[in-house]
Amino acid sequence: MKVLVKKEALCIGCGLCEEICSKAYFKENNVDKSCIQVAKGEANEINVCNQCGACIDICQVVALSRGSNGVVRVNKKECVGCFMCVGFCPTLSMRQHDDYIEPFKCIACGLCAKECPTGAIAVEDIDFETKERL
Amino acid sequence: MDIKALKEAHSLLAEYSYEPAKLDKGYTDKTLYINIGENKISTKTVTPEIKEKFIGGKGIGLKYLWDATKPSTKWNDPENEIIIAGGPLCGITQYPGAGKSLVVTISPMTDIPIDSNVGGYFGPYLKFSGWDALEVQGKAEKDVIIFIDGNKGIVKIEEAPLEAVDGHVVSEQLTEMYAESEEDKKNISVISAGTAANHVNIGLLNFSFYDIRRQVTRLKQAGRGGIGKVFRDKKIKAIVIRFKGTKGDLNKPADQSLINKAGITLHKQIHDLDDVQCRMRQIGTANIIEVMDKYDLLPVHNYQYGKHSDTFKIASDVFIEKFITQGMPDGCWFGCSLSCAKAADKFELLTGPYKGDLVTVDGPEYENAAGLGSNCGVFDPQMVLEANFYCDTYGVDTISFGTACAFAMECYERGIINKDITGGLELNFGNGIAQLELLHQMSRGEGFGVLVGQGVKVMKEVFVKEYGADADFLRDIGMEQKGLEVSEYLPKESLAQQGGYGLTNKGPQHDEAWLIFMDMVNNQIPTFEDKAEALHYFPMFRTWFGLMGLCKLPWNDTMPADNHLTDEPAKIPQHVQHYVSLYNGVTGMNIDKHELIRQSERVYNFQRVFNIRRGKGLRLHDAMPYRAMGPVTIEEYESRQDRYDQQLRELLDYNPEGKTTEEKIKVMRDYRYDQYEKLTDAVYKRRGWNTNGVPTIEHLKEIGIDLPEVVEVVKQHL
Amino acid sequence: MIKVNSRDFEWQEGMTVQRLLELKEYTYVKIFVKINGAIIEKEDYATTMIQDGDDVKVIHLLAGG
Repeated sequence: MKVLVKKEALCIGCGLCEEICSKAYFKENNVDKSCIQVAKGEANEINVCNQCGACIDICQVVALSRGSNGVVRVNKKECVGCFMCVGFCPTLSMRQHDDYIEPFKCIACGLCAKECPTGAIAVEDIDFETKERL
Repeated sequence: MDIKALKEAHSLLAEYSYEPAKLDKGYTDKTLYINIGENKISTKTVTPEIKEKFIGGKGIGLKYLWDATKPSTKWNDPENEIIIAGGPLCGITQYPGAGKSLVVTISPMTDIPIDSNVGGYFGPYLKFSGWDALEVQGKAEKDVIIFIDGNKGIVKIEEAPLEAVDGHVVSEQLTEMYAESEEDKKNISVISAGTAANHVNIGLLNFSFYDIRRQVTRLKQAGRGGIGKVFRDKKIKAIVIRFKGTKGDLNKPADQSLINKAGITLHKQIHDLDDVQCRMRQIGTANIIEVMDKYDLLPVHNYQYGKHSDTFKIASDVFIEKFITQGMPDGCWFGCSLSCAKAADKFELLTGPYKGDLVTVDGPEYENAAGLGSNCGVFDPQMVLEANFYCDTYGVDTISFGTACAFAMECYERGIINKDITGGLELNFGNGIAQLELLHQMSRGEGFGVLVGQGVKVMKEVFVKEYGADADFLRDIGMEQKGLEVSEYLPKESLAQQGGYGLTNKGPQHDEAWLIFMDMVNNQIPTFEDKAEALHYFPMFRTWFGLMGLCKLPWNDTMPADNHLTDEPAKIPQHVQHYVSLYNGVTGMNIDKHELIRQSERVYNFQRVFNIRRGKGLRLHDAMPYRAMGPVTIEEYESRQDRYDQQLRELLDYNPEGKTTEEKIKVMRDYRYDQYEKLTDAVYKRRGWNTNGVPTIEHLKEIGIDLPEVVEVVKQHL
Repeated sequence: MIKVNSRDFEWQEGMTVQRLLELKEYTYVKIFVKINGAIIEKEDYATTMIQDGDDVKVIHLLAGG
């Protein structure tokens, strides 16, 4: 399965990933609209979906599912905008913005990783067992 | 059964096309009127004045019912209506518990308006289909189905001879029939009753929602007050709605952001804390079965006792481990992370017409486990679930049935009735099979079960008149008031809760106030004035859920981690603020927590006056059976002798030494009656009513419900 | 003698909050405890001693049903 993995020690908190993500999906540079978010400070904490799938089972309308590449996706057509998945995400990585009535999340597209100047993030294809260990 | 054949047997009686009104700030400003006697369908406009005074939900239901009926209208007169309305907040998906419908009618049990709060998808879909409320009047000649297609803008009345009447069957049939595909099933909601509702007063309505994961039609109940009986008397088999296209912002709220914020905060709180608080996501309201037993509040053997050594057999963990499917999103409307609509799947029925079937049982809720279980002495989880299932599908209110059955059982055990009268049924406490047989008899419309199904009030009359029972004793032990059965908590040791049950508009339910812990355990409201304040605030606060289309459970079956540090933990101030935000967010108004109470007060007082208009709603109607207030029998007194003796000493300065139990019971009774009268005085005063329980004109003016027709009724009593 | 929710209750030597809850059979989960007005956190129930004469509040939070 594809997942965006992080090496926080390498992160310099430049915010480039956030800019790339929000621009790619919402056509604007707005950290609140980025799937990856970095709490910048002495230690930069990268918050992004680890594709654990806890959200899948709690969604009443089955709008969340795991695709063939293992990535958890929001089906906007089915989503009724309850944001339960936002409150129930174990890592608080399901995003919500008041401009939209559906949540959004990292789909491990890798756009941000490609541009990361320090290699703090990368898309990896890992099997489920490795994932469990992580 | 072949769905096509069922459908082909339909004949169209009326059809109405409409342009679905656009929702704006929680309202469509249109309501749908259907007269099934005259096959007439029309649209009404909701005026700003109606919205201001009555808000929505039960408020608008009561207003329409007032306008449609005369003071003399009986429950089975054609002009009696069934009104179903959500409310301005109904249908939002971000905040748990926001899909409720409020159903209002003149009750066959109480002869006054009843309102019942029910989940399922109907309420939201009705609004999304363009209607703030649905008003059904008249009586059909033969069984009909009403169908509303909210996407196409079509309403139809069809004669429907072949469909089943039982809730779980007809809901499946009609979901199948009206859904355009498997995926479309979630866009259907069916209202139905059941075969017992053809025959008994305690009939209820089932509101369906389609469970995508289980692939079954689930049922939620508008249980109280016999609305199902009215529904079947009107020869309505079902009301079906279809709406495709639910999104999170269909209410067109003024400020979605306020709603999102409140909702996500609550989702997160439930995620973090529910497992260590109420476990609503695991077992729903049944989490308190063993808690009530521990605090001596679980009704046992017709409310004689508050605990039983066998309660562990029906404790919440038994249901979790053996029956209730875990880990499912069990909201009865989208976005309810409290997820309390639990179900036992592939449950094999042991009795009745569906014997051997593997069914999904919606439950058990606490009330079902206590009413069908402990109150009747049935401590067998299998029996409780089976009775729960049959109550639902036959259209029987589990609370009224539990209490009525417990009453019949006590009468049987005391020899007031016998086998000749019960038709051979051995109605001893604990006889779960006999309890089920009563239900099957109700469904068939025969036998002693039909009498039980008329409720405690009718049973008392019949037992006295036909079988020579002692009227005073039956008045003491028959747990009904205003014609409605008491719900499943033992209020004997909490004066405030006696008021919580007794001083209500529709009869003794716990929809208005549940004060037992505050009063009996915490001792937070020791004086009459304290109790009166609680019996003002909580009923008003909780009435508000019924105006909005909300569920009360997310208010206090989950709480913020720091709630105990707030100024008034019992009110859960952060949640009250959420509700203010939700209302302002949807409607664009700017109310605060005080205006919230005022909104309820208007409707609450209107309902009181509605009762008065019908010759009820006065002080004499607020009296409670003594079983609710203290020990009626020697056994009851002696089961708590130490406590009662101590009370006699401390509260009455009465020395119990050397006195017989009968003497002590008498003294205790006089004292407790007196306490209840004093409480009543204090509560009436706090609510702005005179000593006879009539709202004063000044009070009606002050709260803004001094409408001419309301003042006219009140005048005659002042 | 101590007060529990403003009612007299027999004090015992070495009485902790946890022991009091056991004696009173206060098993409900949504409660909070105050001793002489000060909140006692759940994790401290087992180690917090109640002194003779203390005013203890054990507030059960349920106004629902």
